[in-house]
Amino acid sequence: MSSLYQSMIAVIEQSITPLAGRLGQQKYVIAIRDGFTAALPFMIIGSFMLVFIFPPFSATSTNSVARAWLDFSATYRDQLMLPFNLSMGVMTFFISVGIGASLGRQFALDPVMSGLLAFMAFLLVAAPYSNHTISTEYLSGQGIFTALITAIYATRVYAWLKHNNITIRLPKEVPTGVARSFEILIPVVVIIGTLHPLNLFIEAKTGMIIPQAIMHLLAPLVSASDSLPAILLSVLLCQIFWFAGIHGALIVTGIMNPFWMANLSANQAALAAGTVLPHIYLQGFWDHYLLIGGVGSTLPLAFLLLRSRATHLRTIGRMGIVPSFFNINEPILFGAPIIMNPLMFIPFVCVPMLNAVLAYTATRMGWLAQVVSLTPWTTPAPIGASWAANWAISPVVMCLVCMVLSALCYLPFLRAYERSLMKNEQEKAQANAPLAETAGTS
Amino acid sequence: MYKIMLCCSAGMSTSMLVRKMEEAAAQQGLPVEIKAFGVAEFDEQFSRYQVVLLGPQVKYMLQSLTAKTAGQNIPVQPIDMMDYGMQRGDKVLDFALSLIAAAHEKAAL
Repeated sequence: MSSLYQSMIAVIEQSITPLAGRLGQQKYVIAIRDGFTAALPFMIIGSFMLVFIFPPFSATSTNSVARAWLDFSATYRDQLMLPFNLSMGVMTFFISVGIGASLGRQFALDPVMSGLLAFMAFLLVAAPYSNHTISTEYLSGQGIFTALITAIYATRVYAWLKHNNITIRLPKEVPTGVARSFEILIPVVVIIGTLHPLNLFIEAKTGMIIPQAIMHLLAPLVSASDSLPAILLSVLLCQIFWFAGIHGALIVTGIMNPFWMANLSANQAALAAGTVLPHIYLQGFWDHYLLIGGVGSTLPLAFLLLRSRATHLRTIGRMGIVPSFFNINEPILFGAPIIMNPLMFIPFVCVPMLNAVLAYTATRMGWLAQVVSLTPWTTPAPIGASWAANWAISPVVMCLVCMVLSALCYLPFLRAYERSLMKNEQEKAQANAPLAETAGTS
Repeated sequence: MYKIMLCCSAGMSTSMLVRKMEEAAAQQGLPVEIKAFGVAEFDEQFSRYQVVLLGPQVKYMLQSLTAKTAGQNIPVQPIDMMDYGMQRGDKVLDFALSLIAAAHEKAAL
């Protein structure tokens, strides 16, 4: 056991930590994460409108409140859709600016300018304009990959031009603000001059504009991202990173976010059209089934800790329980500890994977409502799960089932750990007792 | 006034520790300013503080973050895992103060 553990630690230190370091500090992974973080509030509030547009009752409900709500939604549908359409529906705007600004900061450029430059680069290829109207087709999740690519391209061009001193030079007397407004002119010209002809060329050759072509190319990857193996692989990675004490969720969500957003848009479009929701694996699925109480689904474990016989674990339970409701579990992970604790490795890795299999299967069987809304990851699990699925009841049941099973999985391992801790506590007490006696007599 | 910055992924779990550290400082009668930030805010914030402590879960960023503070004599160090988990505000505060003191000595030389 101990030699196995030693070799495991060696693997973690020699390969996993450096890998996480490289991935987690990759400029583009950071930028994507920052971009989504910036866009999140707009999208959360925007998708919150869904519950008003699609009331969580059956259309034939006779309950008076439900009836009034349903009639209200039917009458004012267009008005209610507007805030949704101009937030969730154009999420790529916020994301473009967010990614551009983050990359700009990393390249030591003016973040506002790089954000706006990224925004323009995206509009240029993804917002076909004619007869005073812009098609919004690729401004939602369908344009997400294009937004990533154009933001990276735009800031890279800006950085390259600045680095090579290709800029309009003005006399020193010109105020810096004025000088900066000129500095951006060349990047704008270069970006329009490259992206616009490219878009026209691709459209002429394939009949598709750039975002359409990109979605077409990525279709197999996008559909693969919404499968049980993809779920298990991403959660396995996250758990192993976290077991090594590395914030794995940060890395995994950075990579999964574009897929989740593209698929979320597809689910929302299906909801609006009244057709079958195509996707299962979305942010809400990850946050509210796989990370109940934080990474490792430790909320049930927190309850177990509260009643532990070992003093140390009880203390951790008391300290960790309240943040755990909001999916923050660092006190438990580092305090128990679970990180690098060989006794807790198996349940820590397996519990979220078990939850994933259960929730995925239940969705496939048609028992579990799918995710259509974006929620803050700090929402307590059953509430968050229900909110994400437009306030359906089935996610609450699913969460509770997951929690009971997680508790059962953690329990035997916790007992074993508890025993070893208590043995230590007793030994310490015994070792101290004779000392106390001699101290008393002298 | 001691200025201490804590930094983790989103500044959420370190913000719990901030309160504990402030309590410990109040007990010792030390004037402190302690704030928690997410790593995304590191660049804008670190120069206003005398020391930066990282949550152990973002320890893997230590090298690149240290590179950013180079030449400014602002030490960046990870918080001990156990102290972090147990939310030992007093120990983490002592650690921060010892780092500030060491940086001062270095500057005086």
